[in-house]
Amino acid sequence: MNAGALRHEFEDLLYHEAWLLDHDKLEEWLTLCAEQIRYWAPIRSNGARGTEDWSNIRGLAHFDEDKTSLTMRVQRIRTGAAHADEPPARVRHLVSNVRVMNGDGQLANVTSNFIVFKSRPGRDEALFVGCREDRWRRCDGTWKLEERLIVLDHDVIENVTVFF
Amino acid sequence: MTTWGALVDRQRRTVSPRVFTDPEVYRAEQERIFARCWLYVAHESQIPQPGDFVTNYMGEEPVIVCRDNAGQVRVFVNSCRHRGMRICRTDAGNTRAFQCPYHGWTYDVRGRLIGVPQAQEAYHGELKREDWGLPEAPRVEAYRGLVFASFDTAAESLDAYLGEMKWYLDALFNRSAGGWVVLPGVHKWSLKGNWKLAAEQFGGDNYHVMAGHESMARLGLFPAGKTSGDEPWTRDFEAVTDRGHGWINLAIPDPPQVAEVLGPYLAQVRAQAQQRLQPAQASLIGCTHVGTIFPHCSVISFNGMTSIRLWHPRGPKRMEVWSWGLVERDAPAAVVAMARKMQILTFSPSGIFEQDDGEMWGQCVEAMGGVFRRQFPLNYQMGAGYGRRDPEKPGLIHPPSTEISVFAFHERWQTLMGNDTGARP
Repeated sequence: MNAGALRHEFEDLLYHEAWLLDHDKLEEWLTLCAEQIRYWAPIRSNGARGTEDWSNIRGLAHFDEDKTSLTMRVQRIRTGAAHADEPPARVRHLVSNVRVMNGDGQLANVTSNFIVFKSRPGRDEALFVGCREDRWRRCDGTWKLEERLIVLDHDVIENVTVFF
Repeated sequence: MTTWGALVDRQRRTVSPRVFTDPEVYRAEQERIFARCWLYVAHESQIPQPGDFVTNYMGEEPVIVCRDNAGQVRVFVNSCRHRGMRICRTDAGNTRAFQCPYHGWTYDVRGRLIGVPQAQEAYHGELKREDWGLPEAPRVEAYRGLVFASFDTAAESLDAYLGEMKWYLDALFNRSAGGWVVLPGVHKWSLKGNWKLAAEQFGGDNYHVMAGHESMARLGLFPAGKTSGDEPWTRDFEAVTDRGHGWINLAIPDPPQVAEVLGPYLAQVRAQAQQRLQPAQASLIGCTHVGTIFPHCSVISFNGMTSIRLWHPRGPKRMEVWSWGLVERDAPAAVVAMARKMQILTFSPSGIFEQDDGEMWGQCVEAMGGVFRRQFPLNYQMGAGYGRRDPEKPGLIHPPSTEISVFAFHERWQTLMGNDTGARP
């Protein structure tokens, strides 16, 4: 498959994924995640240029999830008692700057930028901005998300009640 | 002049909504609470070497916490004496000097002004450097690795300030020989809500767990219908000590996946603790601990993770939470990994417990601050009079849930805020 077609395929996939997240179809979103997924979002720090080590896996993170904990987070929302998301937030994912690297038909490294807008009752609004570095693997004819590194561009962040 | 102390009614055990929402109350707190109390600033493990520093806040004031070349920890307001510029804009590091980016005034790690550009040409050699050192917190003391500072020269010792709460801090922070270290990174997040709502909750509000964290009960993460175990007074209790510090101790068993990793390790810790702790303290090992050191430093040790956090005040209706993760220096890798994972999952900006608390604190200040609503005081009466002294544990002990500790937090607040004369309470 040529590079343009592969990028087009992943743009469609990422837009579809964003649509699922924005329309509260979280269970369907979980089916895009591989059983062995690592889904993580390191915290950022402020230091001299070039010294930030956000990939330090010993450090704290906003997320460091496997399929079990992602599923539990979704189940929690479904209890109807996850108060930080009741009434549910209006969420909008804008995904751009999609690049596909090392795509060989079975494995693809895909990076994309995002802006996520969240609106709760009243003027309770938050923006999350960052990029994602994904590794997707083709299983039984469909792409599954095997690893997602979410690099949030925030130092002090708002309550993180959304998926990226 | 308003007497802020009248906002807390000790007879009726009520607190005015103005305590949590009024900008004038908030301004007065900066002077009467944050400029007087001992405030947590760092853990010693973050700055082991001379020249090591971290930046933080004391109330609203940015500070640098730095180990000088003699090994002494010093705390400076992070603001140049010349124009007030923030001299250090990084989170942490090691340095021999701090140079202000604005005009280049330079300070050593003892806060002394050691460099002034054009000292001869522009100042004609007349600037007395020794008069222009960094504003330094006059008091810095540590307990079990926890470094506190106070802007009040005449503050009582940290030892006296922590008082009986040291017994509970020891049960956690002195249980093992190697002591504790901070994991890399700081969780920082901004929340609507008054800082005291968070501080009082961690100090003694076990009552909120059933409703506030109902989603977790429904998922089976703690026993449905129960917010504590079956050992009232001995291992399921709340304690309050002088100066408004509170501690919750719960003997709820960890979930199996946590217990599997933690169990063998805690057996080793208990063996060490026999030499280090009283039997009543050692019996608390493995329990959930949640506490607040007045005014705004809280501790939570739960499900294999341990966090120290500050509820930085950012106006009457906003706080900025800074939370650190701690593990024991000698803990095996699997225990450290568990601590990190559980902290991210439960008590972090995305934490499945923490998120709910944030929602409550924000909606409390949004809803209660109006001129009509604020005439109606808030109820802190639960369990009043049902506390007792215990032969083995210091402080006033009461089973969860009561509001004895929570109200004691506000009694201490009243003592400090109601003091219009400026005399020391």
